[in-house]
Amino acid sequence: MFGKLSWSAIPLDQPIPLITSVVLILTILGVLGLVTAKGWWPYLWREWITSVDHKRIGIMYCLLGSVMLIRGFADAIMMRSQQALAINAPGYLPPEHYNQIFSAHGTIMIFFAAMPLVIGLMNFVTPLQLGVRDVAFPTLNSVSFWLTASGALLVNVSLFIGEFARTGWLPYPPLSEATYSPGVGVDYYLWAVQISGVGTLMTGINFVTTVLKMRCPGMTYLRMPMFCWTVLAASLLIVAVFPILTATLAMLSLDRYFGFHYFTNTAGGNPMMFVNLIWAWGHPEVYILVLPAFGIFSEIFSTFSGKPLFGYRSMVAATLFICIVAMMVWLHHFFTMGAGAAVNTAFGISTSIIAVGTGVKIYNWIFTMYGGRVRFSVPMLWSLGFIFTFVIGGMTGVLLAVPPADFLVHNSMFLVAHFHNVIVGGVVFGLFAGIDYWFPKAFGFRLHEGWGKAAFWFALVGFWVTFAPLYILGLQGMTRRLQHVNIEEWRPLLDLSLVGVGILIVGAVCQVVMLVVSILRRDELRDVTGDPWDGRSLEWATPSPAPFFNFAVMPNVQGEEAYWDIKLRAVESQQLSPEPRYEPIEMPVNSPVGFYTAFFATVTGFALIWQIWWLAGLGLAAAFAGFVVFAWRDVHEFHVPAEEVARVDRARRSAREALLERLGQQGAAT
Amino acid sequence: MSELEYDPNLHTAELDAREDHAPGDEPEESAGHWVRNSNLGLGFSIVLTLAAFLAVGSHLIWGPAVGVALIVLAIGQMGVHLVFFLHVTTGPDNTNNVLALAFGILVVFLIVAGSIWIMGHLSHNMMPMDRLMQMQP
Repeated sequence: MFGKLSWSAIPLDQPIPLITSVVLILTILGVLGLVTAKGWWPYLWREWITSVDHKRIGIMYCLLGSVMLIRGFADAIMMRSQQALAINAPGYLPPEHYNQIFSAHGTIMIFFAAMPLVIGLMNFVTPLQLGVRDVAFPTLNSVSFWLTASGALLVNVSLFIGEFARTGWLPYPPLSEATYSPGVGVDYYLWAVQISGVGTLMTGINFVTTVLKMRCPGMTYLRMPMFCWTVLAASLLIVAVFPILTATLAMLSLDRYFGFHYFTNTAGGNPMMFVNLIWAWGHPEVYILVLPAFGIFSEIFSTFSGKPLFGYRSMVAATLFICIVAMMVWLHHFFTMGAGAAVNTAFGISTSIIAVGTGVKIYNWIFTMYGGRVRFSVPMLWSLGFIFTFVIGGMTGVLLAVPPADFLVHNSMFLVAHFHNVIVGGVVFGLFAGIDYWFPKAFGFRLHEGWGKAAFWFALVGFWVTFAPLYILGLQGMTRRLQHVNIEEWRPLLDLSLVGVGILIVGAVCQVVMLVVSILRRDELRDVTGDPWDGRSLEWATPSPAPFFNFAVMPNVQGEEAYWDIKLRAVESQQLSPEPRYEPIEMPVNSPVGFYTAFFATVTGFALIWQIWWLAGLGLAAAFAGFVVFAWRDVHEFHVPAEEVARVDRARRSAREALLERLGQQGAAT
Repeated sequence: MSELEYDPNLHTAELDAREDHAPGDEPEESAGHWVRNSNLGLGFSIVLTLAAFLAVGSHLIWGPAVGVALIVLAIGQMGVHLVFFLHVTTGPDNTNNVLALAFGILVVFLIVAGSIWIMGHLSHNMMPMDRLMQMQP
């Protein structure tokens, strides 16, 4: 009846996961109770859960990503403290638990923290920058989000019911095969990643279509903001490589569930094929994460330097170059598997070449600042910290791209330090910069500057104090994923690294305090103009927060930097353009289909993990029924009356007039 | 600041058939054309499928050439699907579709050719697992 599920699945003998999950369950029950007591359910259901508004979905993605970022950070704290404590000692984490923690850390950080945050910002910003009212497929967007949330939920359920994979964040066979990992850990990994992977693939399709086909009049390709170009490149990569991930994990599932022999080391299976395929997805994946971050930095460098982006066209070319070459470098993740000199050389060279594209970008950002009037606001600080950190990470990457060098430091802490260097320094700094930058557009008030700066400095210093020792330890021969250490000489560096984690914790606390302080003092941080940073692209032409239809009338773009041109002309002539004729707007109606589908996807995933076949069949049938009902719905859009559009836009125009007056006085003063 | 307005010259009342359209904004296709197009596609794909079974089941084709014939029929089948069902044509509204197709072919080529190359070298250098197992005492 219940497959492999029994009461023994709950880890009553392990205090750490048990206490954590009890606290988590109580917190969730508390939040649900509060929502019920306050009667917020109708509001949540109407405005958020069933919303197909790209801004709402983007915010929910960022919220999910932030929560999971904290979860993954907690895993990181446990790993670093275990290694510092377990020098010639057992430490406090038993090996099987420690293995679950490093597997969960990687899985959560890539799939459920970085991806949702990147996709969240893509969702929120892209339609605003393109001057349109929504993405190409709004309901599909909602389905994508809820499927991602479903995967995240499954990973967290593994904490309380059963176990998580002990195989690392990529479950290499033969270790991940049923013979060597008989528990449900790998199954939790497989179904959580499969379900969220479907969501990510649909996001990719959605954004390729949005950028290619949904631009406002006059927004030609070479007038798009840089962020939109990077979204296009990242989405193309998603569409190209996520099917590889799905197919590879499906083959591993067939091995585990039905005794197939794709990746077993008997009966003609080949585990090396798994490594080959998973990295054919895995390397483009890091560019899926970092390209949108590059886009965020491009926007910020140009805005806070008060200059157009230097070398816009070379930036576009570099982005597309990275998009293509990203799919030609995957072997560098397994130089040491034994492909030999010819193959290793080819991929070593292609890996070094891809750094050229990134180098072009770095120089463009530096030249954007050159001669500009640079303002050191919080987003700019993150961006400067990024250049400093990412260049060093990139250089260690080029070092690892040389196969003979890679043979010496592969699988070591040097590698761990390298990829954290580029992912934290590139993606995470970019996300924090982007969140700080676009927060006023989402909520109508800025984040507190002082706490933001404190968070930045603690994160930057904490990052280096944590990972610089790991570079040295790696060069001294310390391999990754060690549950205990028996070399006394490594103690000072491991302790130093733990001190770095302490500094990072302070940084994380600063971020939370920043959020709380900003909410409490939102009235003095209010952005009344809609253009708090003196921006250059179309999202700053809307009020903050942007109305659900984004633009009362479609913008008409006449050059690069759409909004900057409009602003300059208005300041020169000291007047807004004549009031346009407002017309009714069609907007997509809300739909519960995303939530519904994801609910049954979770049920199906859980049933498949525990091999409760009847429940899996039921969940699939119910999810499919949801699609059928959705496909037969009659009403797709509702009308926003012209008077409502006019009312919202007149409020925006009066705020703009005040801003114009102020800018005019400033102009007269200087 | 607020020249976010409609330019009457940019958008005429009629949608230009050659323009690239957003999803949902495509000009109406006549129902008759749609039905004829789909039926033609269905017919072609059925003929090609039957031909594949025929090639294997009968002796019309010289034995060793059957594989090549199947590959040719498969490529034809892909072409039918692309043209009749996915509407990839040479029309002006199809630039994106054709580019997407080219990108897809490039990706498939890179992954398949790269994997064959890598796995060939790996199999050559690394003893396959099952043979290694047989050599164990």
